[in-house]
Amino acid sequence: MKIYKILSWPLMLVLCWGINSCKDELGNIRTEEAEKDITGNWKVTQLTRNGENLSKRLKLENFKIDFNADGTYTIADDLPFVVSGSGKYRLDDPQYPFSVVLSPTEGKEEVVLKFQFPVVKGKRQLSLVMSLGCSSNTYQYDCERLNGGI
Amino acid sequence: MKKKIHYSTYVYWAMGLFLAIFLAQCGLKAISVVVPKSAKANQRVTFTMHCGAEPRIQGGGSYSTQLVAGIMVPKGWNARKNLTMSFTSPKGNGTMRIIPDSELEPVSGLSWHQAAKKMFGIGPNLVDDMEWIVFRSTQAYSFVNNEDIDFTVKAECNVGAENMLASLGFYIGSSIENLRPEDTDYKKFTFSNAFEVTDGEGDLIDFINPQLGTVQPVKSLDNDIITLTFDGGVTNTVLDHEPAIYLHVRAMDESGKLIAEIRKQTADTKLTDVGGKKYLIDIWPRGFFKVDKDVHIARLEYFYTDITGTKSVGYGNTDEPFKYTFRCE
Repeated sequence: MKIYKILSWPLMLVLCWGINSCKDELGNIRTEEAEKDITGNWKVTQLTRNGENLSKRLKLENFKIDFNADGTYTIADDLPFVVSGSGKYRLDDPQYPFSVVLSPTEGKEEVVLKFQFPVVKGKRQLSLVMSLGCSSNTYQYDCERLNGGI
Repeated sequence: MKKKIHYSTYVYWAMGLFLAIFLAQCGLKAISVVVPKSAKANQRVTFTMHCGAEPRIQGGGSYSTQLVAGIMVPKGWNARKNLTMSFTSPKGNGTMRIIPDSELEPVSGLSWHQAAKKMFGIGPNLVDDMEWIVFRSTQAYSFVNNEDIDFTVKAECNVGAENMLASLGFYIGSSIENLRPEDTDYKKFTFSNAFEVTDGEGDLIDFINPQLGTVQPVKSLDNDIITLTFDGGVTNTVLDHEPAIYLHVRAMDESGKLIAEIRKQTADTKLTDVGGKKYLIDIWPRGFFKVDKDVHIARLEYFYTDITGTKSVGYGNTDEPFKYTFRCE
């Protein structure tokens, strides 16, 4: 029993020294948040209105939105959306975005959509929250990239 | 070892029994409300809640809390803008303040108003266009054991401009107990009998009685997604034995001019059977009628038909169409 006690002290010292020696290296690792990239062709997979899930009742197959690499977007004709047609988009903060800002080509004003970009089942999910008509009605669109992109 | 197990079992039983008795005897009394049968549009009305506290505090000591009270009214009343609440009790009278949206109810993680809606629902109302509004006393009050009191909370608000028939909701609670789902002692709620608003605008909005045709959300514009429901269980109609129900709908502009009419019986106009003789269809009016960007649909007129379009049911089971006006206020 005594032998274990004696041995344990040097072992602890070695362990502490080992951990301490890593400190500088850990500090040098860059932890900068990556910029969020929402480019791609997105399809709506779930749609809720005031918390009620309408996904199974609506034909979602044509509910698509494209965010292109050149900073433009295109909304499918069949998709009920806060804006229609095409325009330009940007994130309010490239690293920590809370919203997507849409500038419609034919519109007058920018439209700000609440935005989340979680990873669900290993894939990025784009969630957009908006009011289509009355502000008392809130819709959430959960989208996945088409063609299995992540 | 066996004796130890037996001993601990008895202790747990005793603790459980004590807790059960303690919880069963503690908390708030049942709530009763005084609600007038009717009021005129825009009239300011007082709703009264009677309740009581029955503190049974473990090991003596005191129990300090703020009074929480809420009411559920139609959204169209805009009651948040003019609702006031006050209370009278043997421990003193006081006013109450609305709990800010930013303050979350700890159990649900929602605002207190949303949490109350999730917890208590809309009661006997069939149309979900209701909101819970929750207030809290500005002061905290301390209770000692067996200090039973009765108290009264009065809520005053304007009833809105529209004719309607609705059941209103009422809630009394304790600020430190929050809205725990399993708790039945510190949150008391009830729903009123039918309350009617008369001499107001438009047709009667009936929240309580089943309607042949309803539209959700109650307030929407032509770019919203709306759900039209046909409830064949309300009364006998010519569509009683039809295997499928279809929508025949007209879109009108502000001046009442016809923009478009869809009366073909296709997959796009077929309602989904959701059981219980209820059918529904979800439409995005701007897409459904394929209107141009600068055209705005002001209202819909619609019927429900059979597959041939010859049998048709309109408002109140007549030949008149159901009508729905797009508006937010």
